[in-house]
Amino acid sequence: MNRSRVGMSRSAGSDTRAAYLFILPPIIGFSVFVAYPLVRSFYLALTKYNGLTDPVFVGLDNFRRLFTVDPAFWPSLKATGYLVVLYVPLSLGLGLALAMFCNQRFAGVRIVRTLAYLPVVLPAIATITLWKFILNPQVGLANTILAKLHLPTSSWLQSPSMSMPSIVIVMLWGVGGTMIIFLAALQAVPTELYEAAKVDGAGPYSVFFRITLPMISPIMLLQVILQTTAALQTFNQPKILTGGGPGFSTNVLMLSIYNNGFSNLGRIPQLGYASAQVWVLFILIIAVIALTAKFSSLWTYSDNTPD
Amino acid sequence: MTTLPTDPSTEAPLALAGALDEPVRRPKKRRPLGTASWYATALFICAVMVVPLLWMIAIGLKSRTAVFEVPPKLLPHEFHWGNFIKGPQAIHFPRLLLNSTIITALSVLGGVMTAMMAGYALARLRFPGRKMWFYLFVGSMLLPGVVGLIPLFQLYKSIGWYDTWLPLIVPAFFGGNPLFIFLARQYFLAIPYSIDEAAKIDGAGHFRIFTSVMLPLTKPAWITMAILAFQASWNDFLNPLVYLYSSDKWPLSVGMASFISPFAGQTPDWSYYMATNLLYMLPPLILFFAAQRYFIQGLGSLGSTTQK
Repeated sequence: MNRSRVGMSRSAGSDTRAAYLFILPPIIGFSVFVAYPLVRSFYLALTKYNGLTDPVFVGLDNFRRLFTVDPAFWPSLKATGYLVVLYVPLSLGLGLALAMFCNQRFAGVRIVRTLAYLPVVLPAIATITLWKFILNPQVGLANTILAKLHLPTSSWLQSPSMSMPSIVIVMLWGVGGTMIIFLAALQAVPTELYEAAKVDGAGPYSVFFRITLPMISPIMLLQVILQTTAALQTFNQPKILTGGGPGFSTNVLMLSIYNNGFSNLGRIPQLGYASAQVWVLFILIIAVIALTAKFSSLWTYSDNTPD
Repeated sequence: MTTLPTDPSTEAPLALAGALDEPVRRPKKRRPLGTASWYATALFICAVMVVPLLWMIAIGLKSRTAVFEVPPKLLPHEFHWGNFIKGPQAIHFPRLLLNSTIITALSVLGGVMTAMMAGYALARLRFPGRKMWFYLFVGSMLLPGVVGLIPLFQLYKSIGWYDTWLPLIVPAFFGGNPLFIFLARQYFLAIPYSIDEAAKIDGAGHFRIFTSVMLPLTKPAWITMAILAFQASWNDFLNPLVYLYSSDKWPLSVGMASFISPFAGQTPDWSYYMATNLLYMLPPLILFFAAQRYFIQGLGSLGSTTQK
């Protein structure tokens, strides 16, 4: 379009044309699959909409209903928060521990790494459905092993107090994904730092807290953000393992959105109402990203010297 | 102490590549754990990862009633290989496999192709709006997918795409995964510009430079992307669940999930399920062992988003 601009060579103009041809698909995709739904979903959140007749504007009524009337909303928010608080620290802690464990020189360490990573490769639905059987209280593998070891068994997914921890256990089976990222971060820490610490006579604890942790803190920050936002959107595990039960104990926000908007249980879809829930979730995600980024300078180390 | 291995210089373009398949690069002189306790822990970790899978195979070989024996036996008495035929038949596995294969193949093709083209333009061509589009594409990575779910559902329904594969395939052809665009751009930035100059002098246009010069040079990038796209599509559950109503159009993910929550009154058939689940796991497993390096690169590249 700027072909004729003075001073621009012929090739610059053809660059522009070629470039826009090359990025035309994502531009269309961005407009249709990202920008439009974003705006539209905000509008729908302010309407009463069953998907068949036109949406009716109701202002903030959906949010009022959510926060003051709906008996399922606060439990679903609580279940979502419980999942995040349980899963994210455990995933990061275990992932880092596993990475440090696998970052040592022992024969066979590659086998351990590969096997720890294996569950991540398997299809999510395959592992989730498998774990539903493993956690079966009567004949599942978990209780079979616990009983053989004379340890207390559990009713796992069927118990209101154990249902969410059980879901988190299933999710943690994929901790190899976190491990591999921390492993790469650990391997990027300059060896000289460890050598210098050794010369100074630093013990393993001060090496960990003064060298390892600060050096991997940027990756840690990214992991906190990515895992929290992913955990806030957990759907597959509660949908398949518990369906949200027992009671509301695992009825996370995503499941509630799905049930209000799409579930064919003979109910009229409440797409406006579900959109309001989507926006609650969206605002939670933005808040997590903003807060983590804001306070990141307190605990992340950044190397300001130019390379 | 044995001699320390030299740091192998990898060709890996992405900073975090090679974490799994390379030997430990940073030799540690100190061993915080003794050898015995290290191996004990290693054994425990391996058991946690492998025993559930072995149990799955064991159940898959049991008879339909032996599964419910109390107390449960870990190993089958007799091997029912027929489960590997009858189980898949029970959920029309070949049909679901075909569906999954078509959906996955097309979304891999679309996702990789559009991302490579966009990455090429964003990295190597100068044009007005370049920065803006890059930030818009990358920024949309942070947008949770659920925000678009309901409006898109209505959009697809209004244009007759409900209960078809189109909502699962078409977005991929329009840069559906912005991460890929980001990865492609990073990769293209690392290629020396003298190569384009030489090709231009030879009279090649942008399209020709892209297809005959750039694509061969960026093979690791698009293989990595293809694997990530394969995993995303093969594993996708929410989208097919929402968009597909007819069971003969389902991919394996939805079919396998329905296997264990059958209609009221029926108990799921465990041995059939386990045998079929093994078959469902096989394609990604084979791909993993065949292309382990690229898998790890893909994951590493997710971490590299923090790097400049």
